[in-house]
Amino acid sequence: MIEPSATNRSQGADSNAAPLAGVRVLDFTHVLAGPFCTRLLADFGADVVRVESSLRPDRLGAGTWKPGFEDKQDRPAAYMSSNRSKRSLTINLKAKGGAELATRLARVADVVVENFSAGVMARLRLDYANLSPVNPRIIFASMAGYGQEGPRRDWVSMNVNLQGSIGLMMVTGAEGDPPIAVGNSWCDYVGGLTTCFAIIQALLDRETTGVGANLDVAQFEANAGPLGALLTGSLLGAGLSSRMENRSLTAVPQGCYPCAGDDDWLAISVETDRQWQELVGVLGNPPALLGERFTTPLGRITGHDEIDAALTTWTQARPAAEVERTLKAAHVPAERVRKIEQVVDEPDGARVFHPMPEPRIGGMLVTGLPFALAADAMPSPYAAPRLGQHTDDVLREWLGLSDGEIEEQRAEVLV
Amino acid sequence: MARIIDMAGLAGAYGARLLAEAGHDVIRVESRAGDELRRMGPFAGDPNPEHGAYHQYLNAGKRSLTLDFAAGDGQRAYIKLVASADVVYASTPLPFAPEVLQRINPRLVVTLVEDNGDPELCLSARSGMLSLVGRPGRPPMMLGGHVVYSISGLYAGTATLLALFRARHTGKGERVDVSVRQCVESMMEQAMIEYTFTGKGTERRGSRGTITATSGALPCKDGYWLLSLIHADSGWKTLMDWMQDPVLLADPSLAKEENRHKQRDFIMDRIEAWAGQYTRVEMVTGAQERHIPASSISTPADLVEDPQLIARGFLKEINHPEFGHIRWPVGPVATVRGASLGPPPRLGEHNGQLLTELGYGPAEQEALVGSGAV
Repeated sequence: MIEPSATNRSQGADSNAAPLAGVRVLDFTHVLAGPFCTRLLADFGADVVRVESSLRPDRLGAGTWKPGFEDKQDRPAAYMSSNRSKRSLTINLKAKGGAELATRLARVADVVVENFSAGVMARLRLDYANLSPVNPRIIFASMAGYGQEGPRRDWVSMNVNLQGSIGLMMVTGAEGDPPIAVGNSWCDYVGGLTTCFAIIQALLDRETTGVGANLDVAQFEANAGPLGALLTGSLLGAGLSSRMENRSLTAVPQGCYPCAGDDDWLAISVETDRQWQELVGVLGNPPALLGERFTTPLGRITGHDEIDAALTTWTQARPAAEVERTLKAAHVPAERVRKIEQVVDEPDGARVFHPMPEPRIGGMLVTGLPFALAADAMPSPYAAPRLGQHTDDVLREWLGLSDGEIEEQRAEVLV
Repeated sequence: MARIIDMAGLAGAYGARLLAEAGHDVIRVESRAGDELRRMGPFAGDPNPEHGAYHQYLNAGKRSLTLDFAAGDGQRAYIKLVASADVVYASTPLPFAPEVLQRINPRLVVTLVEDNGDPELCLSARSGMLSLVGRPGRPPMMLGGHVVYSISGLYAGTATLLALFRARHTGKGERVDVSVRQCVESMMEQAMIEYTFTGKGTERRGSRGTITATSGALPCKDGYWLLSLIHADSGWKTLMDWMQDPVLLADPSLAKEENRHKQRDFIMDRIEAWAGQYTRVEMVTGAQERHIPASSISTPADLVEDPQLIARGFLKEINHPEFGHIRWPVGPVATVRGASLGPPPRLGEHNGQLLTELGYGPAEQEALVGSGAV
């Protein structure tokens, strides 16, 4: 049996093909950082096949189901969102022959991605050391919390752990505040994006070298990266980085001001002296803000508390939408703090969410790519797979297995 | 290795740094006053263009060319540079339209990072990000350290690599348009899914996590520790075996993550009260021994001595021309590649080297410097 090689597939791409058309990704990920990384690869045109098992369902997003669709929606909402545009194949990796079948798939794949705890893939004999001899071109990305080595390699870690351990919780908020969390899985997205970056770089390198790569992307490091300037500041003795609340060293005043209504806030950021004069004018030139010292950013920094008090008196008597309109008309940068309802529903809300047909529930909003290639060759997203929906297709297409060979493994391996 | 002309502002800067980490020849084209990153504090020593922490980190591993497009033959030098490059990676507005650049060099990838002139706080407010951060009843908070721009940087860097990969196969250049607004909006995905599936909003929760029911920063005897319990039923059982809380044990339905979500504050209050009698080290060590995801809280200053970052080569000893023998962050991508990354360039450090590479002889270089173009 001849299995098609990755090299043949990636040659002679036509100019309208998606960037990663022909690239095969074997996806052993679960929960969020990993599935988000492979979703990006799928968005770029790769053939992403999730290796799953009915014996170990992905626990992502437990709890969020569309009311009334319980009998149709076989996957949690977050799964449907994070695993769209992929295919699903079921293998019990612990059954006799399971890891062998996965190895055969990896032999004809370009990329393997996994985010188990460190060492799990090695115990299954599915790590880079085991796969690269059968496929020297394989790009193997692992996404363990602290990586595959180092004193904390065996620590388990999730998004909230990383938010605190990389320093993000202690540079956000005000001095004296408790640690401040972000109400999303920030670190999973940063980790997924960083891994995706490293994979595409490895694909580029492989064009020249002909060999793959072992990418041990520690999620801790991927998330320490964006805060690297403050780490560098500490290393160079630039002094302790203080918590800035919503203030800035260059835009003064800057802050979130309460408006009339329940938990309504307006962000104001004054970047120029001209904008400051406009703002003071809009407030009706109150004497408290007319002082000579407020004409420069440095003067306004020292008087920031006084300015905030005057601004708050003015904003809290008015609805946020009105204040935003007034300030924008005066060319003072201002935006209401949108809640998700407004981000999704308002006409000037988010542009990054798009409707996608979803046969199980009719349709859903999904997150598109926040960038465009002029060639416009990116594929449209399609619904997440049912568990094992593409088992037979993938075994036929990737390995050329016959119906008989597939049936032989059905009961023990393909579950 | 691609040659990348980097003229990006803060919204794209992290991506340009990662491209340098990946081994590309990233050339920072700056005005004679230096780029905006050089003016950002905190500063190590005097606040001058070589001492800023953001410059030191975000411009690391690049080369610097100071160029004035309006003076003398500055424009011509830039055209020569573009002709020799694979990528122009820039924020809008550009001194030349992308079509003009691609006429000079048809194989060129042009990445444009578009931020609509939004200040960081307004961007965070408009996208919804601010609504996810802060203490209940207090003002919403911007994320510290300008990390919101790491998202646009990561997308811009990734999109640039993707365009390079595609250009290699098609033989033609690409234009990449990155919307900073949409990059930040994309971080609202989980709130969007929750809202569109259940109609529920997402609130800021102070120190506590939002996505995982039993997660957050919790006070204990000598500070804070972090807990994030895995969704699987086994995670709850392990915690209960350790904690032995009679009240929580009395409700077997809490084995399910969806039920824990309904009572998350009650559960977190119980855990907080229990952990209050132990130290951070006891909580984190005790949890990790049981494979419960826990960790300690750090500030950026704490990470200077982090044994994991040192052991894996994320922090390496280097000789820095300005600061001597120091520990230095090579960054996540260089660490994965087993590579290092040098310090950033001094302003205009590579002017002569780059002009020579572009074919300018000594006399022509002198003329360029004399006219104020370089």
